[in-house]
Amino acid sequence: MPDLALQRPGLSRERRDALLGLLLIAPTVLVLGAVIVYPLLSAIALSFQSVYTPTLEGHWVGLANYRELLGAGGFWAALLTTAIWTAGTLTLQILIGVAMALLLHQNILFRSLARSLVLFPYFLSTVVAVLVWRWLFNDLYGIVNHALMAAGVIDAPVNWLGAMPNAMLSIMVVGAWKFFPFVVIAVLARLQTIPEALYEAARIDGAGPISRFFDVTLPQLRDVLTIVILLRTVWDFKEFDLIYLMTGGGPVNGTRTLPLIVYQQAFGLNQMGMAAAYAVSMMLVMLVFMLAYLQRARKAAA
Amino acid sequence: MKKRPAWIASLVAWPIVLLIAFPLLWMLITSVKPAAELFSTSPTLLPKAITFEHYVRVLTDTPFLQYFANSMILATSTTIVVISISVLGAYSLVRFAYPGRETLASLVLFTYLLPSVVLISPLYLMLVSIGLANTLASLVIAYTTFALPYALWLLRSFMAGIPQDLESAAMVDGASRMGAFVDVVLPQALPGIISTALFTFILAWNEYLYALVLVNSDEARPLTTGVMTMLISAFNIEWSLLMAASVLMSVPLIIIFAFFQRHLTSGFGAGGVKG
Repeated sequence: MPDLALQRPGLSRERRDALLGLLLIAPTVLVLGAVIVYPLLSAIALSFQSVYTPTLEGHWVGLANYRELLGAGGFWAALLTTAIWTAGTLTLQILIGVAMALLLHQNILFRSLARSLVLFPYFLSTVVAVLVWRWLFNDLYGIVNHALMAAGVIDAPVNWLGAMPNAMLSIMVVGAWKFFPFVVIAVLARLQTIPEALYEAARIDGAGPISRFFDVTLPQLRDVLTIVILLRTVWDFKEFDLIYLMTGGGPVNGTRTLPLIVYQQAFGLNQMGMAAAYAVSMMLVMLVFMLAYLQRARKAAA
Repeated sequence: MKKRPAWIASLVAWPIVLLIAFPLLWMLITSVKPAAELFSTSPTLLPKAITFEHYVRVLTDTPFLQYFANSMILATSTTIVVISISVLGAYSLVRFAYPGRETLASLVLFTYLLPSVVLISPLYLMLVSIGLANTLASLVIAYTTFALPYALWLLRSFMAGIPQDLESAAMVDGASRMGAFVDVVLPQALPGIISTALFTFILAWNEYLYALVLVNSDEARPLTTGVMTMLISAFNIEWSLLMAASVLMSVPLIIIFAFFQRHLTSGFGAGGVKG
């Protein structure tokens, strides 16, 4: 065996290794620093300023932005809207996702085709999903109104996106359709690792399909569901594209969630400082879920 | 012992699967329906006549092809930049010991969850001040904010699964550390790198918010904002035109999905859920 120390004079093997490791991570650190850490710190700094977007001129205002958004501003109303949207669409995603994963785990006919069809919405651009659903929900020519009228469920066309609470329910449904495949993928992967012996044992004990689900399947899915719920809470909470493109936050401010306010303040009302204050406040709320996910993900990785 | 089809489950599952797939089917049907049939008071499920006029119009009368080219350049560049950086970074995070490594790994995961709207104003200011606003390059830079943490995290979990013995064996045989990386680790990590690259491409292809804020000229506009411009600027919304554009815009995704579904789902499990 060659003497490694002789090949690398001057430095110990550990030192050389650590240096090489640092060299390899350097591009990552530089890029993340420039495009994430620096902008993140700027966002926090911006939130204490009043900046007019077109001229980019600003001055320090201290806590004035925060005082305004927590007082007269729309923070609490938007937080409530965001929470309702997140809870609603996430519940649908989990219910549909788990049910679909259980069905697709069975040996159904043309299973791989069924899986592809079910998973595809997740990979589709939100822009495409929104265009399709806006066409489906169209009040005059939309197929949803036609179908419901033909079935006798409604007598007149329903305004799905221009009235409350329809608009909120509609975006929840579209969100569920777009994002439930994530739950399916995660749950399906976990289902495949549950030992068949557990089900055999339950069968011998006389457990029917329903009690097998609650006594065997659900406890096995608990960890994966916790992580999926945390991740999807963070992602649904910060969802911008889908809501902005479906309703623009309307009618009035019925579906105006926090990410939409940030965008509106910065590029509609040209108040970049105020926008940053909203963004930072929103991030502080999200931090609870982000930290909970971080903790679990690190534990799982270790 | 049991591999016979589950008939009851099939009967329950397939109607639901078709219901879930219906919006996409309807997109396809609408895109080939003649305009007259579209606005009928009793819509037909299947078109009586099939026309490709809407596709021809999307390709010839609108800037669609320009947007498509922009998206292709944008998604490809983002993928190349992000994968080059993250392959090295992930290898470093998995195989080397140095102070701050664990903190850095946590930071990467944290940035992976960070909302784009928090970064959008400062990034806008930064890109305007360095004179890159309204270019595809500004979007590549902006897209690294979400694509790089994502790719790093995914690759890190792929590389952690590669046994270290092969590398050690190569080094005992006289290969340098980087030689072992190129000859042993990269080939082993290739499936993971492919998954990550495909995902990065899809994320970049589908991105909307940064494109909305950073670009407002057709020269640099990608498909997402471009196709929405077609919706907003039209006085009469031409749904069949928009559905044809939607189908065309999804073609690259359908191709990726059809050929690499296995890669995609394995990437998902590893990166998104298992941590």
